[in-house]
Amino acid sequence: MKTGFVMPQHDHAPLACRNLTKTYHSTDPATEVLRGVDLTVGRGEFLAVMGSSGSGKSTLLYNMSGMDRPTSGTVHLEGRELTTLKDAELSRVRLTRMGFIFQQAYFLNNLNLQDNILLPALKAAPGDSEAVVSRVDSLMDRFGIDHVRRHGVTQVSGGQLQRASICRALATEPAVLFADEPTGALNSSMTTEVMDALTDAHSGGTTLVMVTHDPVCAARADRVVYLRDGRITDSRELGRWRADDGRREDELFAWLSGNGF
Amino acid sequence: MSRQGGIRFRYLRRDMVQNKGVNLTLLLMLVLSAFLMATGSMVMERLVGAVDQLFDVAKPPHFLQMHKGEYDEAALERFAAAHPEIDSWLIEEMLGFDGASLAWERPSTGESGDLSSRLIDNLFVTQNEEFDFLIDETGAIPEPAVGEVYLPVGYQQSFDLQAGDELRIRTESGIRVLRIEGFVRDAQMASLLSSTRFLVSTADFEALAAAGGGTPEIIVEYRLDDPGTGADFQRVYEADAAVPKNGQGVTYEQIRLINAFSDGLVALALVFVSMLVMVIALLNVRFVIRGMLTDEVREIGAMKAIGLPDRMISGLYLLKYRAMTLSACLVGGAAAVVATHLLTGGIEDNYAEAEIGPATFLVPTLALSLVYLFVVGICRRVLGRVRRIEVVNALVHGSTLDERQTARRARRQARRVRRGRLDGYRGGNLNRRLAMLELRSEARSWLLIPLVFCLASILMTLPMNLYTTFDSSRFGTYLGVPDSELRVDLQFSDGLDALRGDVLTAMGNDDRLTGVESYANLTYRIEGDEGWETFRVEVGDYTQSTIEYIRGGRPGAGQIAVSALNAERYRLSPGDVLAMRLGDDEVVSVEVSGVYQDLTGGGYTAKMHGEVTADAAAYVVFADIVGGGTPAAIASEYGGRFPNATVLPTREYMKQTLSYAVDSFRGAALLALVSGVAVAALITSMFLKLRLASDRRRMGMLSAIGFSARELRNQVQGNALVAIATGVVAGAVLSATVGESMVGSLIAMAGLGITDLSFIPNPLLVYVAYPLLLIATGYLSTVFLTAGLRGADKSGWLTS
Ligand SMILES: Nc1ncnc2c1ncn2[C@@H]1O[C@H](COP(=O)(O)OP(=O)(O)OP(=O)(O)O)[C@@H](O)[C@H]1O
Ligand SMILES: [Mg+2]
Repeated sequence: MKTGFVMPQHDHAPLACRNLTKTYHSTDPATEVLRGVDLTVGRGEFLAVMGSSGSGKSTLLYNMSGMDRPTSGTVHLEGRELTTLKDAELSRVRLTRMGFIFQQAYFLNNLNLQDNILLPALKAAPGDSEAVVSRVDSLMDRFGIDHVRRHGVTQVSGGQLQRASICRALATEPAVLFADEPTGALNSSMTTEVMDALTDAHSGGTTLVMVTHDPVCAARADRVVYLRDGRITDSRELGRWRADDGRREDELFAWLSGNGF
Repeated sequence: MSRQGGIRFRYLRRDMVQNKGVNLTLLLMLVLSAFLMATGSMVMERLVGAVDQLFDVAKPPHFLQMHKGEYDEAALERFAAAHPEIDSWLIEEMLGFDGASLAWERPSTGESGDLSSRLIDNLFVTQNEEFDFLIDETGAIPEPAVGEVYLPVGYQQSFDLQAGDELRIRTESGIRVLRIEGFVRDAQMASLLSSTRFLVSTADFEALAAAGGGTPEIIVEYRLDDPGTGADFQRVYEADAAVPKNGQGVTYEQIRLINAFSDGLVALALVFVSMLVMVIALLNVRFVIRGMLTDEVREIGAMKAIGLPDRMISGLYLLKYRAMTLSACLVGGAAAVVATHLLTGGIEDNYAEAEIGPATFLVPTLALSLVYLFVVGICRRVLGRVRRIEVVNALVHGSTLDERQTARRARRQARRVRRGRLDGYRGGNLNRRLAMLELRSEARSWLLIPLVFCLASILMTLPMNLYTTFDSSRFGTYLGVPDSELRVDLQFSDGLDALRGDVLTAMGNDDRLTGVESYANLTYRIEGDEGWETFRVEVGDYTQSTIEYIRGGRPGAGQIAVSALNAERYRLSPGDVLAMRLGDDEVVSVEVSGVYQDLTGGGYTAKMHGEVTADAAAYVVFADIVGGGTPAAIASEYGGRFPNATVLPTREYMKQTLSYAVDSFRGAALLALVSGVAVAALITSMFLKLRLASDRRRMGMLSAIGFSARELRNQVQGNALVAIATGVVAGAVLSATVGESMVGSLIAMAGLGITDLSFIPNPLLVYVAYPLLLIATGYLSTVFLTAGLRGADKSGWLTS
């Protein structure tokens, strides 16, 4: 069995986890979902996590981000160990250093789109609301949702909502952006819309960790890792994505089918 | 059909397992309302039955007139002969001994004690021959042998007496001993401000009378052809100048009402509390059903899509509520049997053990059937929303709303979104602002909490207010008893005016006493429906009077205040002019200054401003104590010094008179307190459980974008606190305003002369401690329910 592909260790890698395990004891017998994951994400890297359904991709994401507590192992964000932090400190780290995009776009339906996007940024920098508002303004402009800023969340399309999620996540200028199947609920034209937005964010320097089932989406990443039975069993460097690089997707398909995807 | 049965059964079982907490809460609420309703109705039925039974055997008079002093027996004979509506009549002779001259002893153990704490006169009587019997514990009419005495059952309870004990009576010629043979129930027993009767043999009665030391009194009693005409008969009786009437006159209706007064009010309080609990339970049911419809909208859509009729779908869900309500009625009814047994112990002792008849089962069954029909009816109504669910909306959008409702909701949301803006935000508490927005947009669901707490607060406060009102020393002033500490009655004595002078001099020179004020009882006559009718008036200086007036105010010079019953009888209101005459003197005109309520003197009294002249039928002297000595001690001291005066420590006297009622109210208030707190805790817990469940995604999202578990908890707790406090404050305000008049009119309907009841609350208790207790209960439930938020893996919130 191959072990995880180990990247050269940086002192200040944005995100690194060592020997991460997660076991659910609520089931009988206990479910070992993660069985020792080692993973380092480089600065400005776009990492795609793939694997079959139920392999533990989402679990990995939640445990790395401190939403859930891993059973054992360590997670470092910019050199800081997260698993020993208290809930309040961990929430603060999520607020200021992480961004999230989910398959379903979750928003408060009693705020308009702009206020939803502003929410974490305002919370992170309460004294600096003018700067926050102008930053969010330009993000909304950049991701093409400027014209629906005053709309309620039920009054915009799924693609627009997901782009709003990206705006909200980027508004705090996070060290890592986590995305769990961000295009899973979208049709193909909206998928392209959202992937373009993520690629755009990446080219702006954001570090991205994205879980996806869609090889076309994964092809946008710099690197793809494959999760099976709670471990990272394979990894592939793809290099920078270019829109005209048709061979890249074929290469990825071949690699995936080699992994039994 | 069996397939449907299968679906129903599977659904029931799944629901019971999945929503254990919610279903249990609902069931408890329903059990509590069924229990209280059944208990209230059963106590009522037992009480009416017991009073009926006692009255059947005891045959109380339809009109009675108490009298102290000389009387003209021939006048009574003449009166009886002239009035054919009289079925039978009698004069009961009584001998009054004050509590201090009575003691008891238990020969077997040597224990002993005296009855001096009884402020009411103890009246020795013999068994009547025709009617108005005293009844023993077996329901028989006892005839004591020589040397035997029967005591009122109330004495058995308060002095812990047994048959076989000895009663020692101090007479002027030594101590006489009688053996306590048993205890008797008196159909007049509970009558407010009346005396209590001890039953002895004719020989012993004559011996006691001869021995001296007792005050002779009589009751003239009438049975009428039509018991309902007691009040008219009283008017006729009082219009006759020759018959004795120095004392209270009481009609059959008053005897009945006074008998049922305290227990009846307690039963009413129970029914009232149960109705409030039922309203709370129904709010709860509505809330749960609506939530359930939202949760199961896709299943309902699917059932509709395959063509199941609406009635069948709602019937499927209704089955559960039918089953729950039915079991609640059964369990609550069974528990009520036990509770009723405990609560009616006092009723059985004082009245009779009512026979178990068809009504015994019919009344609670009817009450429970009403509960069942009402609850199921409301469930059916709320489930009627199934009809409005549209298949497409349900299956595609998971929405219970139809087109129009969806559009309306979208408009509302758009409005809300416009109002709840964050971009003007400069510092401040973002978490609190989010909580507030949430509370505002989910107000319809949150509304349950303030409603429930408002009702719970009313439920706890009203019975407690009733209790403190009856327990208050000031309560007497509502009943026409001035709020003074001592009351001296001077009646029936040869040198009445000299005695009055002596008493006033003694009291005036006593520096323990202050505010000594004397009043004369004069018998005026005024023109009524029966011609010139007797009109008893108390004359004196009322400038310091503490009586509460329901209309108008205290009488000044040339003015008179009348009791509520007199005001009603003679259609008087403040400002009216009253023509009256003393004996055959000139007619004088006085202006009515105000109306007060009165339970003393049969309720027909008047107070006129004027000089206390001599030659009155009776005098009364009031005084307050400034220090040194308890009212009871000073009262008995004066009682000893002036044997012809009756001296009472008024407040304690009132307390003793009302103690039975007060005890019952304390029980009801306590029961209401416990119910209120339990209901508040239950519903808060259930509501938050459901609320947190439907809030999971929102909390998961907020957690992901950086809100800590503590902040999420604070949002919920803050909102709960606002909702709870709003409800509690509203409840307190409603209790103090509408509640008072509601309870007041309920009591006014009882026709006891209390036409207007203002609460004498313990404000610190009901308007500070109770609200704080309710708020603390709700808050603790909230803390308890939200404690789980901390340890949880937050991703679980997003995925459900
Ligand atoms: N709270 C939990 N308790 C018990 N088992 C869980 C829990 N959460 C997840 N699991 C199990 O862990 C495994 C991995 O779940 P996870 O959601 O991480 O998979 P995934 O790779 O994201 O799958 P998908 O591609 O379908 O999203 C699954 O078998 C799931 O049943
Ligand atoms: Mg997943």
